[in-house]
Amino acid sequence: MNRTVLAGVGAVLVVAGVVGMGAVQARTNGAAAEPTGSTGAPAWLHVRVDEHGKSSRVRVNLPLTVVEAALEAAPAKIVDKGRIKIDLRHDGDHDLSLAEMRRMWHDLKEAGDTEIVSVEDGDETVKVARKGDVVQVRVSKPSEKEEVHVDVPVNLVDAVLAGTGDSVDVKAVIRELRSQRGDIVRVNDSNSAVRVWIDESAAGEGR
Amino acid sequence: MLKLILAGAAAMPIAAGATVAATGVAWVDVREGGPQGTHIVVPVPLLAAEMAASFAPIPDIREEMGEARQHLGAARKILEALRESPDGELVRVEERDETVVIAKEGDTLRVHVTGKDEDVTVNVPLESAAEVIRPDGRIDPGAAVRGLRHARFQTLVEVRDGDDHVKISLW
Repeated sequence: MNRTVLAGVGAVLVVAGVVGMGAVQARTNGAAAEPTGSTGAPAWLHVRVDEHGKSSRVRVNLPLTVVEAALEAAPAKIVDKGRIKIDLRHDGDHDLSLAEMRRMWHDLKEAGDTEIVSVEDGDETVKVARKGDVVQVRVSKPSEKEEVHVDVPVNLVDAVLAGTGDSVDVKAVIRELRSQRGDIVRVNDSNSAVRVWIDESAAGEGR
Repeated sequence: MLKLILAGAAAMPIAAGATVAATGVAWVDVREGGPQGTHIVVPVPLLAAEMAASFAPIPDIREEMGEARQHLGAARKILEALRESPDGELVRVEERDETVVIAKEGDTLRVHVTGKDEDVTVNVPLESAAEVIRPDGRIDPGAAVRGLRHARFQTLVEVRDGDDHVKISLW
């Protein structure tokens, strides 16, 4: 009797063992297929939107690798061979073509630190200036407690306008974003605050 | 001889049980109307679900998907990039009565919605999600079941709405 019981238990263990080994093997193969993580700290793109009136807060933290995958995988009518197609002329004569923007940017870069645009309309002030390594856009409207701060690194503008024709080289922009750290956009008005920045923290600072 | 037959007869269900335990079981636990209400628990062996799914034809819903079809490739690449990216909280939306949190933890995308009277948790195994979308743009439900075998010992879905509670977990 003992031998038959042992034989039965043995059969159960063999079946369970074979099936279990299969499951473990499959899991091990899955783990082996995953690439090892980079030892350098990966960059994260953070978006923070606070709407004071609605008591609403939105936090988005995305690894740049995911942003890159999303951009690269965008449909061909938006991105073709790593380039975003841009048609700035469809709204009429007021828009600039990408080629015109490239020419203007080339001239502005040569000029060094300078105020590019300054508009005062009522209590609204719009200023665009190059200061060192950044292009600053400042919009201020005290009556509506509106304040817009956009700081775009010169290298990022270079990357955006580096291509030829009516397209933007997405990979060049992503490469530049990877090396970028700090605020990119900051908008404050009476109802809301928006901040977009890049750092190496998954949670982002000042949550 | 009789002993041998009895031992064999006893071994068969034990072997079947061990096989099911080794390959995984999905527990569907539904409770309605609080502690005094209805309570239904349905264990579904993943092996059986996988076999059933393997007999089902892979639906070609590319036509029905319309323009969304062109985003399937993008979705697959984004899921793969997410799998390889570090863990962290990806999205948090806080409103007066509701909080939505989407976080990546290991190979799982955790979605948690907390409302005034409800609480929803969905844990998506990224491997399964990526495998559902085939490279040719077709959806493969069988791949989702196969992928669940690598996502055992966790809760897939948990919904609490007042006195009602639904939980699907993998063992």
